[in-house]
Amino acid sequence: MFSNFFKSMGWCKVPGFMQAHVELGFVNEVELKCLLEQETYSPQTKAASLMEQGALRERRAKAPRNSVVQSFKIVILSNKLNLLLFFGPLAILVHYVTDNKGWFFLLSLVGITPLAERLGYATEQLACYTGSTVGGLLNATFGNVIELIISIIALKNGMIRVVQLTLLGSILSNMLLVLGCAFFCGGLVFSRKDQVFDKGNAVVSSGMLLMAVMGLLFPTVLHYTHSEVHAGSSELALSRFISCIMLVTYAAYLFFQLKSQPSFYTEETKQNKEMSEDDEDPEISKWEAIIWLSILTAWVSILSGYLVDAIEGASVSWKIPISFISVILLPIVENAAEHAGAIMFAMKDKLDLSLGVAIGSSIQISMFAVPFCVMIGWMMGVQMDLNFQLFETATLFTTVIVVAFFLQEGTSNYFKGLMLILCYLVVAASFFVHEDPHQGWC
Amino acid sequence: MSCCKVPVLIEAQVEMVSANELENKSLFRQEEDAAQTKEASLMEQGSLSTSFPQHTPKAPKNSVLNSIKIVIFCNKLNLLLPFGPLAILVHYMIDSKGWVFLLTLVGITPLAERLGYATEQLACYTGPTVGGLLNATFGNVTELIISIFALKNGMIRVVQLTLLGSILSNMLLVLGCAFFCGGLVFYQKDQVFDKGIATVNSGLLLMAVMGILFPAVLHYTHSEVHAGSSELALSRFSSCIMLIAYAAYLFFQLKSQSNSYSPLDEESNQNEETSAEDEDPEISKWEAIIWLSILTAWVSLLSGYLVDAIEGASVSWNIPIAFISTILLPIVGNAAEHAGAIMFAMKDKLDLSLGVAIGSSIQISMFAVPFCVVIGWMMGQQMDLNFQLFETAMLFITVIVVAFFLQEGSSNYFKGLMLILCYLIVAASFFVHEDPHQDGI
Repeated sequence: MFSNFFKSMGWCKVPGFMQAHVELGFVNEVELKCLLEQETYSPQTKAASLMEQGALRERRAKAPRNSVVQSFKIVILSNKLNLLLFFGPLAILVHYVTDNKGWFFLLSLVGITPLAERLGYATEQLACYTGSTVGGLLNATFGNVIELIISIIALKNGMIRVVQLTLLGSILSNMLLVLGCAFFCGGLVFSRKDQVFDKGNAVVSSGMLLMAVMGLLFPTVLHYTHSEVHAGSSELALSRFISCIMLVTYAAYLFFQLKSQPSFYTEETKQNKEMSEDDEDPEISKWEAIIWLSILTAWVSILSGYLVDAIEGASVSWKIPISFISVILLPIVENAAEHAGAIMFAMKDKLDLSLGVAIGSSIQISMFAVPFCVMIGWMMGVQMDLNFQLFETATLFTTVIVVAFFLQEGTSNYFKGLMLILCYLVVAASFFVHEDPHQGWC
Repeated sequence: MSCCKVPVLIEAQVEMVSANELENKSLFRQEEDAAQTKEASLMEQGSLSTSFPQHTPKAPKNSVLNSIKIVIFCNKLNLLLPFGPLAILVHYMIDSKGWVFLLTLVGITPLAERLGYATEQLACYTGPTVGGLLNATFGNVTELIISIFALKNGMIRVVQLTLLGSILSNMLLVLGCAFFCGGLVFYQKDQVFDKGIATVNSGLLLMAVMGILFPAVLHYTHSEVHAGSSELALSRFSSCIMLIAYAAYLFFQLKSQSNSYSPLDEESNQNEETSAEDEDPEISKWEAIIWLSILTAWVSLLSGYLVDAIEGASVSWNIPIAFISTILLPIVGNAAEHAGAIMFAMKDKLDLSLGVAIGSSIQISMFAVPFCVVIGWMMGQQMDLNFQLFETAMLFITVIVVAFFLQEGSSNYFKGLMLILCYLIVAASFFVHEDPHQDGI
């Protein structure tokens, strides 16, 4: 879960922790209200204490010793969403029993949804034990691990175009759909005033997104103006160089975030130190967390393998362009949990956290996942480059400009949210009637 | 003008100071206050009547030797001056274009700085208006001269690429370095700059992009009324409009400086007595004019050789001409401005850094580019504003990125780092870029 990234950052991604707790809370409606209220303090406190490494020593996590059954119960059974977990094995069954790619694709999609959320939970539990730095880094890497895994598997199969489209779709859906829904719902709840968020962070985020667009735009334009020095290989070399630069920028961004956070949370720390000491203890021990993380990751990989195989078949049987499936359907499902989290934060007037979920996730995909895939492709010998083709690049460019403008002002209301959602509908419709101009893309 | 090109004033003084390390610190501070004082007094025409008479520059009568000493020998950077004649020597002796190019580049670097110094000295004698105009025109005279030479040789593409490269390097590299170094020095807080001026500058840059974009798009959608000539006519018309806009911008700056510089009044009053001596120019008016002419002639001479050597250098070093024109030439051409902007940022005078960097970009995009089109028109050269799709797209996205960065009015080292990395991306793109058709020059 990307949300966990900023939890340790303390800036706008405290969500992860809260999210997991909230969803745990779904189980018991009675406890919902008070849990939610309690939760409000603990993530901030935790974030603050993680930030201030001095305080961390007082709160060394009591590592609970769970039996295997108990561990299983905590991780798997305590969340209603995990009922969907059964769809995973069901999908594999369907794959071998019938030849219906369409159903198989659908069931796999459904089966992956709860895994995203559980992965986030496991990452956040692990982050309790590691320091703030490593915790932040963990969150930063594992935030969108599902997209990463799907991309790497597709890359291994040489489906470069699917990788590009999936990552692009994830960026677009985070920037428009998740953010739009958050603004919209928050605006409806607080209809009398405009909600505010930190303009400084929003501007830095917009800058990062624009830089990502720049990185994607230049190889594309180079290709389409047929102005490469060595036709074919220049663009690849340029893409790889740009990917290195983007990874360096992302690292600097993490460094910058970590360095500039401590100042913000000093007051809240002191208020909340006493109040929520118990909520900070993780629920599973460190090794359990690592084991569960590995199990869940392996499970996601397996399902993703089947998923990627089924994309083509699903596209044929449902008569929908592959672009639409990769860009619109896949990301919506993958981001479902983050989506819910962002909306909840907006409705609690914690717009900075929503922004962190949405925009932070976009930045992570565009400045980390995309260049990382190019690098992985380089190592695998797969020719993945940053040329996302003209249509997709133009869509991304326009979207980033629109979102950057919306973020400039530092306030939001339901209308801005509605505009973003409708923009996403426009984008989705465009991809519904779009297919790559030539056949050799997969 | 104080917004865009005060730098030249301070810059020249600053670099003069660097020659004498001992006096460095105290002189530096004095220099700055002097510049602001001078500027404030230049701008406020009202107070001019009262204060100016006190500061009528004592025109020093220097002997020729003295003059040469002041202008040439006072600056360490001028050690690079001999590279100029050396380059010409090499040009006639060996046939290695690569070396000629390199030496000429190195030889031109100190000239840019000395030209700034001479312009600023001359501006002491002229009124604020003419002084501002002088700075505005001579600010990037090196690029202008190189461009006009290339134009005369019919190397239209080199002109476009050089000017484009100058705009990009000013907006990304110079500004990025300034933000980065300033941010490192003041890392506990964000540095602030005047948002209003930054917004106006962004607007002008966007207008320049618009002027360059439309002829390019017209050409590439093959939708001209009279194929071939429409685009040229549109370019010339747009150039006239851009020149008018630039003139209006200068007028606007000159008029509004008097209002926006009142806060500096306190400083200027404090320092009027202390730095009365620093305002006096060092060379007389006629000396300044003569030196200006000599330096300009010298730059022209070297530029001639430089322009000739570009092609040869590209072949012998195996680098695309686009890269040499767009990345290498401007970095060298802007070296002095670059240093100045960084120094201002490290002294928390980010407005001045911004003036150097963005002001220079505006000067090139809204003055030098249309001016070259008009000069080309007069010469009969078909220079137009169609910078080809790749370059135009690059300029467009760069201006948008920079405009966003400037919107907020604050900076930190990370923003600076982002700008520098963006410049690396741009440079890398030009390294693997060559014009799609053979008549690239």
